[in-house]
Amino acid sequence: MIPGKYRSVSGRAANNVNCGLHLVIQTSSLPEKSKVEFKLNKETPSFSGRLLQHDLERNYSSRQGDGRVISPSPRNKSSCISSTTNVTELCGLEMKTTMSSLSAFGDSSIQTPSKSRIRQGCHSAGPNVSGDHINLASSSMPSFPILQRSSEEKILYSDRLTLERQKLTVCPIIDGEEHLRLLNFQHNFITRIQNISNLQRLIFLDLYDNQIEEISGLSTLRSLRVLLLGKNRIKKISNLENLKSLDVLDLHGNQITKIENVNHLCDLRVLNLARNLLSHVDNLNGLDSLTELNLRHNQITFVRDVDNLPCLQRLFLSFNNISTFESVCCLADSSSLSDITFDGNPIAQESWYKHTILQNMMQLRQLDMKRVTEKKRLTINNVARKWDLQQHRIPNIAPNQDRKVSDSPQDPSQLHGSTISAFPEETGSLDSGLTSALQGLSVTDTHLVEVDGDTLSLYGSGALESLDRNWSVQTAGMVTTVSFTFIEFDEIVQVLPKLKIKFPNSLHLKFKETNLVMLQQFNALAQLRRVDQLTIDPQGNPVVNFTLWKYYVLFRLSHFSMQKINGTEVTQNDMIMAERLFGILAHVASSELPQYRLISILGDARKKQFRYLLETKGKKPGLVNEENSDSKRLVGENTNRATLNYTTRDFYNERLEEIKEKKKFCKMYMEDLVKEATEINMKNEALQKLWPQMFIELVRDAVIEIRNKSSYMKLCLQQITDQK
Amino acid sequence: MLSPERLALPDYEYLAQRHVLTYMEDAVCQLLENKEDISQYGIARFFTEYFNSVCQGTHILFREFSFIQATPHNRASFLRAFWRCFRTVGKNGDLLTMREYHCLLQLLCPDFPLELTQKAARIVLMDDAMDCLMSFSDFLFAFQIQFYYSEFLESVAAIYQDLLAGKNPNTVIVPTSSSGQHRQRPALGEASTLEGVEASLFYQCLENLCDRHKYSCPPPALVKEVLSNVQRLTFYGFLVALSKHHGINQALGALPDKGDLMHDPAMDEELERLVVRSRLHRTSRQHRAEKPGAFGFQRRDKLEAPESMPSASAPTPCPYRWEPRE
Repeated sequence: MIPGKYRSVSGRAANNVNCGLHLVIQTSSLPEKSKVEFKLNKETPSFSGRLLQHDLERNYSSRQGDGRVISPSPRNKSSCISSTTNVTELCGLEMKTTMSSLSAFGDSSIQTPSKSRIRQGCHSAGPNVSGDHINLASSSMPSFPILQRSSEEKILYSDRLTLERQKLTVCPIIDGEEHLRLLNFQHNFITRIQNISNLQRLIFLDLYDNQIEEISGLSTLRSLRVLLLGKNRIKKISNLENLKSLDVLDLHGNQITKIENVNHLCDLRVLNLARNLLSHVDNLNGLDSLTELNLRHNQITFVRDVDNLPCLQRLFLSFNNISTFESVCCLADSSSLSDITFDGNPIAQESWYKHTILQNMMQLRQLDMKRVTEKKRLTINNVARKWDLQQHRIPNIAPNQDRKVSDSPQDPSQLHGSTISAFPEETGSLDSGLTSALQGLSVTDTHLVEVDGDTLSLYGSGALESLDRNWSVQTAGMVTTVSFTFIEFDEIVQVLPKLKIKFPNSLHLKFKETNLVMLQQFNALAQLRRVDQLTIDPQGNPVVNFTLWKYYVLFRLSHFSMQKINGTEVTQNDMIMAERLFGILAHVASSELPQYRLISILGDARKKQFRYLLETKGKKPGLVNEENSDSKRLVGENTNRATLNYTTRDFYNERLEEIKEKKKFCKMYMEDLVKEATEINMKNEALQKLWPQMFIELVRDAVIEIRNKSSYMKLCLQQITDQK
Repeated sequence: MLSPERLALPDYEYLAQRHVLTYMEDAVCQLLENKEDISQYGIARFFTEYFNSVCQGTHILFREFSFIQATPHNRASFLRAFWRCFRTVGKNGDLLTMREYHCLLQLLCPDFPLELTQKAARIVLMDDAMDCLMSFSDFLFAFQIQFYYSEFLESVAAIYQDLLAGKNPNTVIVPTSSSGQHRQRPALGEASTLEGVEASLFYQCLENLCDRHKYSCPPPALVKEVLSNVQRLTFYGFLVALSKHHGINQALGALPDKGDLMHDPAMDEELERLVVRSRLHRTSRQHRAEKPGAFGFQRRDKLEAPESMPSASAPTPCPYRWEPRE
């Protein structure tokens, strides 16, 4: 019976060798070799890096998901699957090295055959002591079992020992195994690290899922390179002073509150502190080789010192409590950082999040698992610079940066290719497999248009032209949030009618760096179909500094019954307050304007619509009806505030010019008219003055003429005969 | 209607001086601008409406700045309109910055120049700390002085600067002042740390200015009253005193006394009506908004139209007529 069992064990073991092969090779070869291996890994592209990180967590979760504790999040799982395939496709040969190094990080035990093998071995060796290859017996010290293996076993696995799921509460005394390089205590109940100080050649120590409360008993293990202490009860990082060659330190799932006592680990390459109780990150100096730092699922509010890590490439800060860019601004100074995650932080909800990060971290290649294309970064930077120049914020241009911008490839095919509704998948191909949401991104030098899920983001005034494109019905219908960045509000106003038609479901408007300076500018938004939410970023929009702006928005856009302004819920009281503050203005505007003015002001709005109508008429007759109902609505909607409208600066100035012209004409016309009238008046007055005198004179002349009757008669007769 | 001065001037000048020409020009200009609309309802009616609104002071609403400042009557009308529309802001007790007041002004006159608002704020804030918050009444009265008498104040500023420099700005000045000047000079020299100029001398210059100034200026008697209370004063001190003098406010006639500034029962009544209506409006809207549907909003819009139409088509007649004083 025993031989049979043994046979089956060895058979499985043989299977297992396949899986653990890399590890065996790696560990049995001398440290130099493993160094080579690690180096290789260092040079692999960031893909493998992410894979590495992901798999670390994935493996834990899937292990846990084996039927216990934490269920793996579906996103992680699928991403891992797709990323693996990606890597195979992309990295080809390098795949192997990655995988092998992965297994070195504690995944050797993931394979069930290995587990069962050990379990079996230990069963036979365990309580009944009769086993022939492993012997776990009580020693002279009553509390510690003594472990002994058979010589065959020793020969077969001379350098490793796996004691997984043995219900061990203490570390057994391991006798005669000084050559051991790999020791695995996963899934036991060990509370204290003991009795392994003699294993001075140990390279790999796995104590995942135990009940260890303090790091101790490791001071003699000078060659230890991989130390896995995940899922324990450790409160403090300590007693690592002698582990100078430590390469991987995994402390995830403990209760650590601060980073300390690690500054001497100059060879440490991977540090995993995910799912701990860290409230901040600092004290990282000395970790000169650290390339990956995992800090997911902590309570971190700020990050310092990261710029002191010369090799750091990947930093995972997902699911923490970071809310401002200032609290992580040291990241901008890190020259090596290429991959970073912030998802699940308050900061990632901000409208400025993405472009602020990209703008400040030129070196970044991945943000939240999405590839940052060089182009996108350059574009955002370029747009921001152009905007700053426009706003006269930057006095002169730094020459090197300027060069960079002009160097950025101009790729017209990209732009034109994207006019067809099939957008180039600029975001990492990783996501295409993950999210069903359309990921569109089209780029040129001066502006950027991006569709990300339900958000349309426009950077730079050129981006407004994208509204002329034929957006697919699906995309257009999905967009509910439109965000404008680095665009003059006056320019946005001009495309609002288009926006209304192209993206009928847009409910949430975001403005950042759009030069909103006056309350009256909000009048322009009244022409939209519907706005539920409005977010005006204080950056580049001075209007937000006003006390009254929210009330004015609520007042002027009351017909939208808005839900949220800048993320704050609008209450009934706000609405009443708005009405109280500005109601009279609307009343005066509507009831006291002379009617001809009312008609002309309302007419302007209608005329504007009409003009747009004429423009679009040629293209699509279907739109006309919609427009008509809209303009009807405009009249009905709120006439008492429709008189409060906004004409953009340029348009207004144009109108002033027009008025000036007309005035000039009117002035001349009136001048002539009045002059004529006054002249007539003057003549009239002069006549009035002269008339009495004239009349008397006339009468006197007549009287004198007819005084002598006979001579007057003769004269008259004479005249008559002369006429004949 | 026919004042005796009328006979002293040729007709044209008289009309120009009384700004009748301005309004006639503007009326024609307006007619020209809206000729399609106006021709539909009659030119005679347009002119009636136009001159009625001029009388009521509603003709300046949303007009361009060049027109608003064209006549004293327009300025007073604008001041009054500003007060009526934004009295509620003051009533609410909000303190605002200069820029925010400027925005409110721009709601009534889109191209209102920032410079004027700045100058008015300077009167309140005494030339420093321009970002400070001001109360509505402080701003309004300062703004009234600055806006209504802006040309006059510019001349005053020039006179003040001349006086500060020790020059006598008026070549045609009262004979006694020259001897006064001589006595003054050494005193000025030793007390150069003293701020401002001497009040009586300043008044003499201003009186002179009022005589020959063709723009409107505050009644000289009131200016004298302002200046007689003090020995010396600074330019801004003078402006503050002007803005706080309620006789000048009365003489100008656009705004009520400071005590009654928040008082406008007719409008308050109107406002209550509006608030109640908006509350009803909102709740009814919310009820309807709960109905889902992809095109729900379009349907709703159509329902909306007749509902709010009556409010617009039946404007409340404004019995409030206000006779400007000039």
